[in-house]
Amino acid sequence: MSATAADGRSPAAAPPPASTPANGRPDGRSSVKRRLLIALGVYLGGLVALVAIYGFKGTRNEIYKPQNEFKLESWINLGAFSINKAVLYLVIAGALTCVSVIYIARRMQQRPNKVQTAIEVLFQLMRNNITGSAMDSKMAAKWFPFIGTLFLFILYSNLIGYIPLPTNTEYEINVLGAHIPAFSLYAATANLAIPLVLALVVFFSYTIEGIRAKGPIGYLKGLIPGGVEGGMAVPIFFLEVLSNLMRVLSLTIRLFANILAGHLIILFMAGALAVILGVAWLGWFTLPFGIILFAFEVGLVAALQAFIFATLTAIYLGGAVAEEH
Amino acid sequence: MHIALITILAVAEETAKAGKSIGLGVGGGLGAVGAGVGIGLIFGKAIEAITRQPEMRDEITQLQWLGFALTEATFFYGLVAGLLAAFIV
Repeated sequence: MSATAADGRSPAAAPPPASTPANGRPDGRSSVKRRLLIALGVYLGGLVALVAIYGFKGTRNEIYKPQNEFKLESWINLGAFSINKAVLYLVIAGALTCVSVIYIARRMQQRPNKVQTAIEVLFQLMRNNITGSAMDSKMAAKWFPFIGTLFLFILYSNLIGYIPLPTNTEYEINVLGAHIPAFSLYAATANLAIPLVLALVVFFSYTIEGIRAKGPIGYLKGLIPGGVEGGMAVPIFFLEVLSNLMRVLSLTIRLFANILAGHLIILFMAGALAVILGVAWLGWFTLPFGIILFAFEVGLVAALQAFIFATLTAIYLGGAVAEEH
Repeated sequence: MHIALITILAVAEETAKAGKSIGLGVGGGLGAVGAGVGIGLIFGKAIEAITRQPEMRDEITQLQWLGFALTEATFFYGLVAGLLAAFIV
């Protein structure tokens, strides 16, 4: 390639091949490849060292219980309304939702800075893609604040679950003489109650909106798809009612199981498996997978689950007031 | 006579545990099969559609992520069913 280029251009402008000493690497490998090889070497070396020092098999650990990571102990006991870890995370997520949007709204400028641009992108997403594509514009204007809040709340709830906060009161660490709870990862949406309550709110919202738009009999009649004859209508009606109730369960389980499974697999890959089985080299071996899964969860799953929940809410709301198909 | 009774009880408990383990494995495994097929189909169709009409790329990509999340949820339904079988029933 450089031979043909040198015909039309001066030799000084011809690009040098990659294996010259200009890179500073006499053996010709580029620096990215070299760093990857060093990382691989450290990985394998550590693996061999751990097998040599601690042996191949280990003793099973009965003391550590992974389910304690998700146990909620009451910090302030008020019966069913006790203040515990999940309540703290809910308060933080709610505060973040309100503060982030109101703060930006008060300080809007003609030429936005990065934070404002990010919030504006989220706003566009919520208004046009999520709400606008499922309902007509009048209803979208009415329901957009609800769906936007739902999206942002679930997004922040999922995201702060991946930031270690000092909330683990089972183990305490000693910082300059003060005992503070150990850092741990926990997401509010990893508890079954929170997605369940959100799904119930959505269910009642769209049912009541449908009844308000069409009257109770009209809404129930609207559940049957058009063109169904009299005899078949009854079983189909029951199926439709059942599928409506299944929406609550599916919304709940989708959000809850995604976040819980994500946390559990990060927990196991990043060390819990090695602790439970008592093998040291297994912890080192599964650590890169833990890191990759952590990046995957933060980058994709957290935002995607919030987007899905909000989109389905908008679709259900739009479908509840729609005319017969 | 007592030893025979104890043996039978032990075998029954072991069988129950084995049944629960099989339930958990089947729940997770079949859930993964369904989700794998579904997600593969969705992304395959999305690639085909973007190839046919590159100007619709953004809209198709959005539908693709929606479909992916809905399909992935069915894996969790299967997993939750397995967990129910193993730990609650």
